[in-house]
Amino acid sequence: MAEKTIVITRFDPDKDQAPRKQEFKVPCEPDWKVLDAVNFIKDELDGSVSHRWSCRMAVCGSCGMMVNGEPKLTCKTSINDYGDRIDIEPLANFPVVRDLVVELDGFMHKFESVKPWIVRAKEKAADQAALHPSKGTYSQSAEELATFKQFSMCINCMLCYAACPVVANEPEFLGPAAIALGHRYNMDSRDEGNAERNAIFRGEGTVFSCSYANECSEVCPKNVDPAAAVNQAKFEAVIDWAKNLVLPRGGA
Amino acid sequence: MSRPAHPHAMAPHKPGRTRTAPPQMPSTWWSAPRIRNYLLFDATGIVYYLISFLAIGMIQALGRGPEAWNAVMARMQHPAYIAFHVLCFVSVVFVAIRFFSLFPKAQPKAIGPLKPPPGNVIHAALYVVWFAITAGMTALLAGWIF
Amino acid sequence: MALAYRAGVPLKDMEFVQYHPTGLPGTGILITEATRGEGGYLRNNKGERFLVDYDYGVGKKAELGPRDMISRAIVQEIEAGRGFSGAYGAYVHLDLTHLGADVINFKLPFVRELAKTYVGVDPVTTPIPIRPVVHYMMGGVDTDIHGATILPGLYAAGETACVSINGANRLGSNSLTECLVFGAAAARHAMTYSKGAAAGDERAVIAQCEEEAGRVANLRGRKKGGEKISAIRRELNNVMEASCGVYREQGSMQAGVIATAQLRGRVADLRLEDESKVFNTEVITALELQNMVEVAETLAVSAAHRKESRGAHTCKDFKTRDDQNYLYHTMVHHDPAGPRLGKKDVVLGKWVPEERKY
Repeated sequence: MAEKTIVITRFDPDKDQAPRKQEFKVPCEPDWKVLDAVNFIKDELDGSVSHRWSCRMAVCGSCGMMVNGEPKLTCKTSINDYGDRIDIEPLANFPVVRDLVVELDGFMHKFESVKPWIVRAKEKAADQAALHPSKGTYSQSAEELATFKQFSMCINCMLCYAACPVVANEPEFLGPAAIALGHRYNMDSRDEGNAERNAIFRGEGTVFSCSYANECSEVCPKNVDPAAAVNQAKFEAVIDWAKNLVLPRGGA
Repeated sequence: MSRPAHPHAMAPHKPGRTRTAPPQMPSTWWSAPRIRNYLLFDATGIVYYLISFLAIGMIQALGRGPEAWNAVMARMQHPAYIAFHVLCFVSVVFVAIRFFSLFPKAQPKAIGPLKPPPGNVIHAALYVVWFAITAGMTALLAGWIF
Repeated sequence: MALAYRAGVPLKDMEFVQYHPTGLPGTGILITEATRGEGGYLRNNKGERFLVDYDYGVGKKAELGPRDMISRAIVQEIEAGRGFSGAYGAYVHLDLTHLGADVINFKLPFVRELAKTYVGVDPVTTPIPIRPVVHYMMGGVDTDIHGATILPGLYAAGETACVSINGANRLGSNSLTECLVFGAAAARHAMTYSKGAAAGDERAVIAQCEEEAGRVANLRGRKKGGEKISAIRRELNNVMEASCGVYREQGSMQAGVIATAQLRGRVADLRLEDESKVFNTEVITALELQNMVEVAETLAVSAAHRKESRGAHTCKDFKTRDDQNYLYHTMVHHDPAGPRLGKKDVVLGKWVPEERKY
């Protein structure tokens, strides 16, 4: 057991003009994650500390925080990776609702805007036949799955938004996770919504704002590699645009 | 698109909504080792900006005749100019290496029936092309070809 | 469950709790059944595949046996002194080393990630420490096949409900059926119901909302309270583990009934520090804890009354199933004086209950 000083950023919109820092002395066990220390503070030292967490096994993506300035999934980050003083702040580049809790509305809206579901061009008759269990519901081969599987591993933890220098300067930029998700559906063999999504990718918050800093992929706790997705999406969006220019109805 | 994709994406709070503190940049954005490569990468832009002035100056000197050109050439012997050229060289090499390492994974998975070669093949090919062009330029400038 | 229970809907079959045999000690993080499906072995501290080497009634199924039986086997193995001891209690090994790196990376990548991150063990080279962990509540809010409860307009589906597709024991993945099939059924029925229902008394609804808002407001920043949330939660954990675990005994279950009743009294006097109305997670935690204590009490009461062993409910004092006296659903009704027990007939359908033999 080692005592560490945990510095938590506090902000109560009812009382505080701006976020402030508060220090806690926490007796940390060697096998703790950073989240365990924050939970210890909440349980034993100050019940008014607010933070999000749920699964504590790196699947729900709710406990992202800045740990010593780096966006981290706190349930997956060992406390022993750090020294005696650990600075914990809410995720950067997001408005702060309370203490370590950030505002998600903008992020959610971006997510929704890329149509993260399977779009079928002509639902109905042909699809109903394809939907029959004997024909395999929207069957997909292992090779087809492999083209996008990596991008489907995202847990929406938003660390990539906190790391992205473009998001920091252009709040309207769609951002790594949303583009990776849209690209994931564009790559999906069952999907037919490429044209719609490519139009979104070229629209406001365009994928071309990305300067390929690769920060998103550096901080991703699930090795999704959103930077690869975003830059592949740029290519697809250009090809799609060129097709629309040259061919009637985009060659469809 | 009929409506903006994200009207209030990550913006500071709006009236009628819970008051929020504005978004912050990461407090260590300028010093984090993770971000240092990217900052250096962006900073090389300044070097290219400066060398473009130098190049324009040299072309102007060339237009003014042999004397002006020789004067410029003499000035280039100054350690400061040599240091600047070394900096340019390092910048170009750094940007090339960084770009080459990130380039393969940005390739589309397929263009119609065509599939790109494996990442390490693309990576190696970039270096081959880079060295080939450098060798060709060197041969041209050294007068080995014409 | 607590919401429905307090509203007067009985909770059904609360004593049936499924333990999953392979969780990480301490965190309780689940290591998927697929590890055994792919051919993983359970081993004791002698390195023996104890499910094969000792007779636990699982027979040739060994590691592919049902969750409840394997959980019991692990507990017996540990009680026989053939477990390992660790900082978070005794455990046994889940051995995947013979599967090889390729199979683990291709079929079980997430298991490898979890084991490395949360117990510092690479399953390619080292067995994973595991122990049985609480996994699923077979019981819940009593509903009919449409997800409807006895309270008109109140519907429940999923783990919170008990539509009784699981009986006293659950097979893996049937939670999906509960969510998808009965979730959809409940939604459809609720839609039909609300279309035909009367507008209702708005004033009564407002009064109810105000009462509930008052309850929350009283809880927020309740500095006069004397009980600590985290302390009661820990006590509740310990009480339930000791009284209603994998194996149960009359004595410990009775102690559990008394302890949970006491906790119900104490949880009314929580101390809260957070006065803010914005994202006050402390209030949520307090409400959750009050609900948990209430649900735990119904569990203990139901378990203590069932003097037999059935499905996941295994009593050391009553080792066999007693269809003569206990072939019915346990119902728990809310009562200010404490949980009140009742019965409901079991719809047997096509199959007659038989003894489980492998």
